[in-house]
Amino acid sequence: MATYDLEEQEQLAELKAWWKQYGNLVTGILTAAAVGVIAWQGWNWYQRNQTGQASMVYGVLQRAALEKDTPRVKAASGELLEKFGGTTYAPLGALTAAKAMFDAGDAKTAKVQLAWVAENGKDELRDLARLRLAAVLLDEKAYDDALKQLDGSFNAGFAVRVAESRGDVFGAQGKASEARSAYQAALTKLDEADKSGKGKNSLQDRQANGPYREMLQQKRDSLAESK
Amino acid sequence: MFDAVRNNQRIVQLFLALITLPFAFWGVDSYVRNASVGADFASVGDTKISAQQFDKAFREQQDRMRQQLGTNFRPETMNTPEARLALLNSLVDQRLLLLEAAKGRLGASDDLLREIIGKIPALQENGQFSMARYQNALAAQGMTQPQFESQLRQDLTMQQLVGALGDTGIVSNTAAEAMLRIQAEERQVAELRIAPEQFADQLRIDAAAAQKHYDENIKQFELPEQAKAEYVVLSLETLLAQTTVGEAEVKAWYDSHQERYQQAEERRASHILLMTNASAPEAEKAKAKAKAEEVLKEIERAPGKFAELAKKVSQDPGSAEKGGDLGFFGRGMMVKAFEDTVFKQKEGEVSGLVQSEFGYHIIKLTGIKGGKQRSMEEARPEIEGELKRQAASRKFAESAEAFSNMVYEQSDSLNPVAEKFKLKIQQSNWLPRTTNPQIVAALGTLGNAKVLASLFSDDAVKNKRNTEAVEVAPNTLLAARVLEHRPAAAKPFESVKADIEARLKAQQAAVLVKQAGEAQLATLQAGEDKANWALVKNVSRLQGRQVPPAAMQAIFKAGVQKLPAYVGVDVGGNYMLYKIMKVSQPEKTDDNQRKVLQREYSTMAAQEDFGAYLAALRARYKIEINKSALETKERQ
Repeated sequence: MATYDLEEQEQLAELKAWWKQYGNLVTGILTAAAVGVIAWQGWNWYQRNQTGQASMVYGVLQRAALEKDTPRVKAASGELLEKFGGTTYAPLGALTAAKAMFDAGDAKTAKVQLAWVAENGKDELRDLARLRLAAVLLDEKAYDDALKQLDGSFNAGFAVRVAESRGDVFGAQGKASEARSAYQAALTKLDEADKSGKGKNSLQDRQANGPYREMLQQKRDSLAESK
Repeated sequence: MFDAVRNNQRIVQLFLALITLPFAFWGVDSYVRNASVGADFASVGDTKISAQQFDKAFREQQDRMRQQLGTNFRPETMNTPEARLALLNSLVDQRLLLLEAAKGRLGASDDLLREIIGKIPALQENGQFSMARYQNALAAQGMTQPQFESQLRQDLTMQQLVGALGDTGIVSNTAAEAMLRIQAEERQVAELRIAPEQFADQLRIDAAAAQKHYDENIKQFELPEQAKAEYVVLSLETLLAQTTVGEAEVKAWYDSHQERYQQAEERRASHILLMTNASAPEAEKAKAKAKAEEVLKEIERAPGKFAELAKKVSQDPGSAEKGGDLGFFGRGMMVKAFEDTVFKQKEGEVSGLVQSEFGYHIIKLTGIKGGKQRSMEEARPEIEGELKRQAASRKFAESAEAFSNMVYEQSDSLNPVAEKFKLKIQQSNWLPRTTNPQIVAALGTLGNAKVLASLFSDDAVKNKRNTEAVEVAPNTLLAARVLEHRPAAAKPFESVKADIEARLKAQQAAVLVKQAGEAQLATLQAGEDKANWALVKNVSRLQGRQVPPAAMQAIFKAGVQKLPAYVGVDVGGNYMLYKIMKVSQPEKTDDNQRKVLQREYSTMAAQEDFGAYLAALRARYKIEINKSALETKERQ
């Protein structure tokens, strides 16, 4: 056995005492950290695997939507929501399927898809889904439900479209002055976004807004101010 | 140093444990990844858009524009701070989508990648994906396979996200119908124009007003700085005109490129074919052969009847109709046995039986052409042209640098270069210092932004030096020097007085027109209509432009609870009054029209949605734009 000088023996004793006091704690922390990291990696692996499979189903869905093959759209989107509901592909697929089904005249299926995203989607995807759900509800004359979708909180960027959609609902209800002020609000917000340049992106420059602005104006002007 | 380690063992141990942990779990990568390089153009979330990435996008954009616009492409227009900012903004948007895709763990699968690459037509050979072609195409682009595939994967991944957002806008049938009603609504209007001419005799401009306007708006009347220049152009064409080619060179070229001046031999033949199937039993083949021999005998008896017989018995559907004629063909176009026979035959000769994989042929050679060598005299213009081009481009490559150096080193005159390269010194008209694209385009090569910039630099104007040699077009260098220079100055008052007076009069008239128009509108709205209405029109938004857009907007904005309703609007100096007499909807809305409108409207809504989506991403991620990098970097 190695021999230690006095100083070293002292240190050794000190270390042993320290270890006796904190050893369990240190081991515990290290073990917990290791388990945590392993679990994290495992979780990542699981997620990757899930999204990998979801990606393929989503590819099928995109193509089916392009080819207007509605039975396959339905099947693929059903699989996505059921098996891969936790992945980002689920809401993306539902939005794609909703559009395809709506265009094919099956508003009911479209509604189910959109409602799922409005319920389970995150952030902007949820906003998009609620906006579109409101459009489908409007066609069903479920005005109050449509307005309820539009009343929730939206990301700031969606303000213009939300206001426009509210105008559409009010218009259908025959509430001309509410509709008019909703369209006016949409126009004002469009101007604000233009002027501040905040959140401005390559799509939303003045030119791209040209026809859209004109349309909003037409909608507003069609509802003459009651004098 | 190690004492410190010994004395503070515990701390050191702890420290070591701390830095080892990341290595163990995340690799060295996490230490180096964030090291930054150069001046970045923007940061998006935790990532950067580097100068290299921006430059690459910039070049790609230029290439795209050049392809689209051809010679109309002016690189300067893409190189303004605004254009660069727009490009950067689109890069930021792209990056945001990528980050968001990564966050959502989106990724195109290997299968999809394989499928897409396999379907690129340029990479196929005989309808099959060819690995060799793929490698060649990559090499031509200067990319490695992993690079290209990861780029493609990125694009496909982004497409997954964009596809689900950009093409999926939904517009309710209700809103589309409402929109169609708005678009289709018809309003019958009568029109009344109040024109400025009506007030011509009421306009009074006193003498001092024009002078005052001139003094107050002196900037408007300024002429830009101008210069007259002399210049020389060294181009491939000028050198081409100076180049001569000697007899010996032409001969040497001709001798060493004999094969180029040889015309391939072509022969014309007729044939009679008796088909055999390669997999048919021997007995059947023998039968075909016997039949063929019979035909051959008949031809030998009556050689003139070849065409007639071909029509009757040949089983080659293409040629039988034409008496067996196949027309002229060169070597390599027919099956080997056939070709060998034809190229051995004499004209008019009929062959024996020739067997090929199609069956038995009897062949008659009917014509021979070509196979001759063109003489040197015949080929001379071609050879001389080729040699001149070669010599001139060699000479241009040699001269370009000497030219540039000479205009710089002997900067007080263009004569030395003109003499050395035998160039003509040309004189320009007055050139304005401007970047107005129309004016610049009219100046031709002198309108090149770099030429103008160096022509108006202090060096050229004050120090009377030559400008640098600028490549104004491929293989074309231009150098200029200022002959005469006019600084920017205001046009004298007298020369613009008439213009100013006209302008002031127009302003006055506009005010009068508006006053009169508004007054009349007020009386009309008060219910007193004695106006002399002209021109009744039916207008609707769907029909388009029966009235100016501003008037259209005013007409449809008017409340029509009470008819007639009146509106007035200022349209380009005229005041237009409209009396709305009738509002109507077309009998029924056209379902087809509604569908078209709904589709357009959905696209527009989807675009807005996508814009809103990007705006939301912009708000969520931290974005910093390096304005100074955008402004200072002049890019080529």
